[in-house]
Amino acid sequence: MSELAIDVDQVTKRFGDLTALDAVTLRVPRGQVYGLLGPNGSGKTTLIRALVGLIAPDSGTVSVLGHRMPELNVLGRIGYMTQQAALYPDLSVKENVRFFAAISGGESRVREALDFVDLWPRRASVVSTLSGGMRTRCSLACALVHGPDLLLLDEPTVGVDPQLRIQLWDRFQRMAAEGTSIIVSSHVMDEAERCDRLGLIRLGHLLAEGSVKQLKEMAHVDRLEDAFIKLSEEKAL
Amino acid sequence: MSRRRVAAITVRILQQFRRDRRTLALLFGAPLIILGLLGYLLRGGGSVPKIGVVNEDSGPLGQLVAASIERSQTVSAAGMSLSKADAGVKNGDLGGYLLLPSDFTAVARQSHLVEPLVRLEGSQPGLSGTILQALSQSFATLAAQVPGTAAIRFAPQVTYRYGGPGFDTLDYFGAAFIGLVVFFLVFVITAVAFLRERGQGTLERLMASPLRRPEIVLGYMLGFSVLALVQAVEVLTFSLVVLHVHNTGNIGLIFLLEALMAIAAVNLGIFLSMFARTEFQAVQFIPLVIVPQMLLAGIIFPVSTEPGALQVVSHVLPLTYAVNGMRDIMIKGADLSWSSLQLDFGVMLGFCVLVIVAGTATLRRRIA
Repeated sequence: MSELAIDVDQVTKRFGDLTALDAVTLRVPRGQVYGLLGPNGSGKTTLIRALVGLIAPDSGTVSVLGHRMPELNVLGRIGYMTQQAALYPDLSVKENVRFFAAISGGESRVREALDFVDLWPRRASVVSTLSGGMRTRCSLACALVHGPDLLLLDEPTVGVDPQLRIQLWDRFQRMAAEGTSIIVSSHVMDEAERCDRLGLIRLGHLLAEGSVKQLKEMAHVDRLEDAFIKLSEEKAL
Repeated sequence: MSRRRVAAITVRILQQFRRDRRTLALLFGAPLIILGLLGYLLRGGGSVPKIGVVNEDSGPLGQLVAASIERSQTVSAAGMSLSKADAGVKNGDLGGYLLLPSDFTAVARQSHLVEPLVRLEGSQPGLSGTILQALSQSFATLAAQVPGTAAIRFAPQVTYRYGGPGFDTLDYFGAAFIGLVVFFLVFVITAVAFLRERGQGTLERLMASPLRRPEIVLGYMLGFSVLALVQAVEVLTFSLVVLHVHNTGNIGLIFLLEALMAIAAVNLGIFLSMFARTEFQAVQFIPLVIVPQMLLAGIIFPVSTEPGALQVVSHVLPLTYAVNGMRDIMIKGADLSWSSLQLDFGVMLGFCVLVIVAGTATLRRRIA
């Protein structure tokens, strides 16, 4: 069994004139919370889509949990939360989670998933009546209901109130401690500080990679934000 | 009221359309296509109803009547044997036939009354009317031209192979519309629902799950088919019980054909939704997909009366076969021993398989 959760090797993806990913190489061991940090349009979502096989790289290879993507059998071991809370608005919270559980094989874990995001009391609410934050939580429950080995979270805490955000990050870390690998994209610096390791992305380039401490040392600064700016300048992008 | 604000909205709408070339093409292209098609259909020199003339008269009058009808501009008449005429009416090749019996001349001379037998196919009330009118006119022309026939009255004995004198326009259209209502509504709803799946991001999520493409298409097909079949039962019951649409066929067969149309519509909706980005664009398929089929599938205008080139198109459209099948069952009481109905069911079944395969093939796992 591969020790790597993801193995991205020299991946380039272009959309017309735009190079969304430029020879990105990234290896993430299992059981870590790995953050992809970068501004909007930096290539985070493209990288996550490539990981889940939705995008075919123009060059380079993507392997997930030891399998070269796209590989249908691996998808059952991946939880994918899209940036937009992709849910069925006419279904209730529980019906949505149960549906995604049924297609991914996690029917017995619906309650657990809804408890994880504190939505069990609102399980009968129709999604179209929920606030943005609640939809995000419901979407997260759909992504993790089947107990995936790898969780890909594209901006998972957008619209979530600060208190719940803290709780969710605690739970991400607990899941990672229990062996789940988590790749999470974010453009919020204080969230990124909670990741085991970070990849700084800008304009499709992986600028730097390492723990928060390593990145700060690399840039000789105290704040992650400053490290990001300095490393961007150093790469002359 | 602020003119500036109103103008802002107006300009914004025009700006939006400027970037939506597809909608613009539809807005300005579709009316020309639809009206052009309608014009060609109605003025394109379409063929007139075909009738047979069975002249068994031993005297001269039958010959004159037959020749007069064969010269008619409103029907296309040809002399033939009784068995051939009967067969033509049964399978719908002929709109009817005129039988001039062996004592036609003798009786006319004696009673000053001609009572030829007119056997009409009868499933199309409009067509029956045209044929009867053409026969009366031909006889009137003859009476005016040939000395000694002016005093003879024309009183055809009309019988119907299908339907009957009480058979009205609703009976004719109802048989087609029972299937079409289901087909069109299911098509639109499926196409829009599938695009919502795309627009709300759930399709991306499904594609990132272990679901296989045929599983998605089959799941959709079954889900919508359940609704469509309930709708089919409702439409059929309403048509037969409330509207009393003429039916001499097997209700199970009608339902089976309706079910095939519904399944075809679901999968056509899935397939065509792949070529639209928004629900708005999916709705635009209605004038492009539905209207030409309404005009060419024999729903309103019989395929046999269309201009030749359009008949070729009609014979490629699956709805032509569905409509024909529904009419054959309901009006003619056809069952599966009829080769024409076997063809109708076969074409619809084949079309279902085609759109299922096409829908599955075009549903891409990858979004870029």
